[in-house]
Amino acid sequence: MLLFIASEVMLFGSFFTAYFFVRVVNGYSWPPPGFELPKYVAGINTAILVTSSFTVHWALQSIRRGNRRGMQAGLVLTFLMGLTFLLTQMIEYARVGFAPHDNAFTTIFFCLTGLHGAHVFVGLTILAFATTRAFRGHFSAEHHYGVEIPGIYWHFVDVMWIVVYATVYLL
Amino acid sequence: MTEVTHATGHHEAEHAAPPQGWHRWTAGGWLRALWMAPLFAGIGLGIVLFFRWLGHWHPLFEWNTIVVVAFLTALPLGFLAGIGAFDYWVRYALGAPTQPEDHSGHGARSWKDYFRVNTDHKVIGIQYLSTVFVFFIVGGLLAMLVRGELARPGLQYTDAQGFNGLFTLHATLMIFLFIIPAFAGIANYVVPLMLGAPDMAFPRLNALSFWLLPIAGLILVGSFFAPGGPPAAGWTGYASLSTHQPMGTLFFNMAVQWAGASSIMTALNFLVTIITMRAPGMTFWRMPLLVWANFTTSLLVVIATPFIAGSQFFVMFDRILHTHFFDPHHGGNVIAYQHIFWFYSHPAVYIMILPGFGIISEVISVFARKPIFGYRLMALSLLAILVLGFSVWAHHMFVSGMASYLRVPMMITTLLIAVPTGVKVFNWLATLWEGRIHLQTPMLWALGFISTFVIGGLSGVYLGAVPIDIHMSDTYFIVAHIHYVLFGGAFFTIMAGIYFWFPKMTGRMYNETLGKWHFWLTFVAFNLTFFPMHLIGTQGMPRRVADYAPKFADWNFFISVCSFALGASVIIFFYNIIHSWRYGPLAGDNPWRSLTLEWQVTSPPPVFNFDEIPQVVGNPYEYGVPGARHALLNGARTHELEEVGH
Repeated sequence: MLLFIASEVMLFGSFFTAYFFVRVVNGYSWPPPGFELPKYVAGINTAILVTSSFTVHWALQSIRRGNRRGMQAGLVLTFLMGLTFLLTQMIEYARVGFAPHDNAFTTIFFCLTGLHGAHVFVGLTILAFATTRAFRGHFSAEHHYGVEIPGIYWHFVDVMWIVVYATVYLL
Repeated sequence: MTEVTHATGHHEAEHAAPPQGWHRWTAGGWLRALWMAPLFAGIGLGIVLFFRWLGHWHPLFEWNTIVVVAFLTALPLGFLAGIGAFDYWVRYALGAPTQPEDHSGHGARSWKDYFRVNTDHKVIGIQYLSTVFVFFIVGGLLAMLVRGELARPGLQYTDAQGFNGLFTLHATLMIFLFIIPAFAGIANYVVPLMLGAPDMAFPRLNALSFWLLPIAGLILVGSFFAPGGPPAAGWTGYASLSTHQPMGTLFFNMAVQWAGASSIMTALNFLVTIITMRAPGMTFWRMPLLVWANFTTSLLVVIATPFIAGSQFFVMFDRILHTHFFDPHHGGNVIAYQHIFWFYSHPAVYIMILPGFGIISEVISVFARKPIFGYRLMALSLLAILVLGFSVWAHHMFVSGMASYLRVPMMITTLLIAVPTGVKVFNWLATLWEGRIHLQTPMLWALGFISTFVIGGLSGVYLGAVPIDIHMSDTYFIVAHIHYVLFGGAFFTIMAGIYFWFPKMTGRMYNETLGKWHFWLTFVAFNLTFFPMHLIGTQGMPRRVADYAPKFADWNFFISVCSFALGASVIIFFYNIIHSWRYGPLAGDNPWRSLTLEWQVTSPPPVFNFDEIPQVVGNPYEYGVPGARHALLNGARTHELEEVGH
């Protein structure tokens, strides 16, 4: 799984390379005059996503100790928080006031956050499977790869968001 | 006519009865793909039209978007769903009970098994090899068309744009649909056997990875019918040419994605298999070098391939979403494309040669009857090439206008990478030294490889020096270099591998005389075709041109004639392979008297490879050492260990 995560990290790397060229090599001001980024909403979203990483870890720790209810609660919370994150991002996309085809800054903004959003969507799908299976009693203290693997993917999504948030919104 | 016996494993279960009546249209297979593919395409079309209508974007029928979403993404997905590549995972997602694994669908009992989703790595390996040779023929015919156009100055039968399409597709097909997947196919067949494993770690993923490949190839071949013609920006597809070319470029963008996805999945499969499924006693330092080579190559694929995916996404976004990745008027950066593209495409050339190095190590050791000289350093040099390979990409960009401070460091790393490669060449020569050399066809290809690859490597060392590259960039010197390392390099190793493992895969021996004719005709024609290109390159003939100055006319004519001979030489190969596959003499288990594990089972191997798990007790190259054993199989026990003296 970690090898797959490595290739996913490299995919983000190619998008970050494009960002590097637009911002550092071209010396584009960030954000350019007249364009603003919703830092605070995105900051709250970051907090939500980071918390969701803790809840999915709690879910995994619970099932390792045989605590089914804890696992189910953790997975449900993670899914809901992830969904909140995604919906908030989509609302912000509509409200941000610029489009991908405006200039290189908007291009990179939408493409980098959009790539991340696509991965959140995939992560939510995998989490949905895990949650459904959790409520059907598929997991036990001995067999819980189906919780561990989505958890690893979700952690990757979370860490990637922190990097995206920091480079696009903050720096 | 004697029959090849297929030894069966202990799981020989009954085949499930083939579906009858209308169930034939719902069971995974070509019939279901026949309706699922257009269905998905229709859904894709609907999605595009819906969103364009919702957003009030005009025109509603924007064909670039529709082609990408409906025909280049949704339709292939429908095809894959139809033939059953996703069946297991869909059943999992729907919560359906898992089908009991009686393994009755595993392995091949008739030719039809090769045309469906099959999880047996041996079947998948042969599927890969058959598919890539189809695209090899197409790519080769395109090369013949290129050489036909270049036989005389002036435009013969195509215009400049058409010519650009010819060499673009020639290179794209050869790189993504021939060399890379050919190595994947050989490795798919051989690596699990060499490891003593019953199959790959993820057989269903393996099957899916294969089926992505014909999709990529059909997209590329189909691009001839795109309005405006096939992609014509070179296989390198630089922005901003590619962002302003006709629709054919989108076919290139998407085909690369499908081929790249196939490649990454296969590589992940190899890595997990090699790390976790080695037979007991097989430490990393007792693995055959082919396994080492595929291990290193798979690491390269997993890490580097996403970058070409990214670069092609950016070109597509610039074309369809009108973004500005590469548009300097809105803050984009054109050189960014080259950096992102070459960050993959340089490791790609190592992906295209490292498995070949592994094949050569196997062949030379067996046919010189000597252990590989310096086994550990051979493995370590593979790892060195892996690491260094990521640091040299900008040597493709010395004249691009990139930041000039990058040039000297990239030159240094480029020259450095010749060191581990040179270590390998010298070790092969040392293996041959005072060996008992048997000059059968695989060995001829291996020896031919060493000579031509060294020439290609030497021209590469020249090109690594910035001042020389400034003069020779985009000339025929580069074309010579490319073909010496890719044809004289990778292709020769693929030939060595195919001839070497043909008896194992088919149970029959190819015709040795025809094999020798094939080699010599190819070797001579290849050198006559490509060596003069060094000369005209230094004299200034540019590459990727449909017409050229009259002073190059004589050499071009000579090169074209020799290239036709080169093209004709493949006919011998295909005749030999096809005829021997059906009528060749039975080969037996180990015609080459090799020590590696795949030769210790029948030809072809049993469905699950080994009747009992082999116990590895030594390294695989101890030729000529009395009593040496690589592995204990089939009941061989302690008295052999006593022979070895432990």
